[in-house]
Amino acid sequence: MRSSLRNPYIYTLFVVPTLGLYALFFIYPMLTSVGYGFTDWNGLQDTNFIGFANFERAFADSSFWNAVRNNMIFILFSVCVQVPLIVFFAILISQVRRFQGFYKTTVFVPSILSTAVIGILWGFMYDPEVGIINQFLGLLGVETIYWLADTRWALLAVLMTNAWQWMGFYIVLVLAAILSLPKEINEAASIDGASGFQQAWHITVPLIKPIISVIVMLSIAGAMRVVDIVLVMTNGGPIGATDVMASYMVNRAIRYGDYGYGTALSIMIFAIALLLTALYQLTFGKMRERVEF
Amino acid sequence: MPQALKKSLPHLILLIYVAAVLLPFAFVILSSLKGSNIDIAERPFGLPETWVFDNYVTAWVKAKINVYFFNSVYLSVTSSAAGVLLAAACAFALTRMKFRRVSSWVYQFVLLGMLIPGNVLFIAQYILVKDLGILNTHWSLFLPYTAGALPLGVLLIAAFMRAIPAELEEAAVMDGLSAIGLFARIIVPITLPALVTVFIVNFLGAWNEYLLANFFISKDALRTLPTGMVGFRDAFQTNYALICTGIVYSVLPVLVLYAFLQKQIIEGVTAGSIKG
Repeated sequence: MRSSLRNPYIYTLFVVPTLGLYALFFIYPMLTSVGYGFTDWNGLQDTNFIGFANFERAFADSSFWNAVRNNMIFILFSVCVQVPLIVFFAILISQVRRFQGFYKTTVFVPSILSTAVIGILWGFMYDPEVGIINQFLGLLGVETIYWLADTRWALLAVLMTNAWQWMGFYIVLVLAAILSLPKEINEAASIDGASGFQQAWHITVPLIKPIISVIVMLSIAGAMRVVDIVLVMTNGGPIGATDVMASYMVNRAIRYGDYGYGTALSIMIFAIALLLTALYQLTFGKMRERVEF
Repeated sequence: MPQALKKSLPHLILLIYVAAVLLPFAFVILSSLKGSNIDIAERPFGLPETWVFDNYVTAWVKAKINVYFFNSVYLSVTSSAAGVLLAAACAFALTRMKFRRVSSWVYQFVLLGMLIPGNVLFIAQYILVKDLGILNTHWSLFLPYTAGALPLGVLLIAAFMRAIPAELEEAAVMDGLSAIGLFARIIVPITLPALVTVFIVNFLGAWNEYLLANFFISKDALRTLPTGMVGFRDAFQTNYALICTGIVYSVLPVLVLYAFLQKQIIEGVTAGSIKG
């Protein structure tokens, strides 16, 4: 009677296209990456197996470590600056009754837009001559800042743009968690005389620890992946001030034809990502235990 | 009155945030209608001295925004639809057909893809696409976009399909439906909400994708909106009004779609990230 669900041909027909495409674009590149990483392939000449030479080169490559450092700044900025602000705004939105839907839908808007277009939009806002940022600062008496061309400011400019794009997205995630908490707890606390701030700090924040842990993880993963915004706004410049691992890798490989070295860099990036995941599990990961209520 | 202040303070803070989100758009829209850079620079939030609607015609036709736009629509729709269909078929076989042991292996294997950060595969994918001889064709984006959406698609759809009661399909099979018929006529309609969610996640991913689109496509006629826009900006570096027009064109369709589907989009995108 249930033979139609045991038909191996149909099963194969349904599974193989997905599996094939997945294997071709995920597994196969993963395996070949390991292969290319040990060669000196430059896309033109014969390819030689050179052992760990690419990795030794990467360890001695100060430009690569500069890019790693910039990724770490991205991570620190997301976790130490953005996450507290995200939690603050999410709690604030959860406490208002009127316009709650309006705030929620508006702050989410930047996260559905293309990073490339956001990069262009903000490049325009940072423009030294016509951009509104300098005009606004001019009102306060600040002299023109060459945001994207000045090594002192470029990374901050990119960080701000990135924060503008993603904060609303995380706020909505945290807000959903807050709104799913039982209301009785806060009601009881407010009858006992706890202020809004006390409730938020002593009740809401401890209860949403698991979701905070999730957004920390997502922020770290996002900061490791960041590349579009950098390529569009500064292409890593001025003199490496905004280079991140992925932009450095892409430019090395494609622009200089250094495929073997680029692939070795991509393996290093994977290794650093794994290392950070392990670190995260040892620190924030512990917060993920379920809170019962 | 402190009570009134207490009530309005949160709104005040939130309105400042909302302004920070919306002001860039106001700036861009106003600038797109201005005739000169001087007008933009001198009165950033003033109405245009002369309203230059021509910018919109120029950007659409001369700058080929129309071409980029349709390339993006076409690639995003086809690759998201293909991604949903493949993931749904696979998830159906894995969760509803009677090959439990193989299915559990296949499932774990596909989910492995979610551990691999996309950028890491970039160079190897570039070489693969080159070797397949599809560099500089839409296939070089369609295939990775479709494939890239599969792990999450399978995960979300399989989770949804597992919840379907077995009685339903037993009845359908008794009535003589084959596995394909069961899939197309019973399971797909029931899982439609999950399929829509996955479609939205795939669509936004493909619509906004920049890295592959930038390096796999160099023919101008095949470019998608994000890369086309970057090229457009580089070409018109000093005509700020025209660049803003381009930005409006590339942002507007997404905002209109968002206005209609905000609930599904928010749910879809957040479901995608939490489970990922």
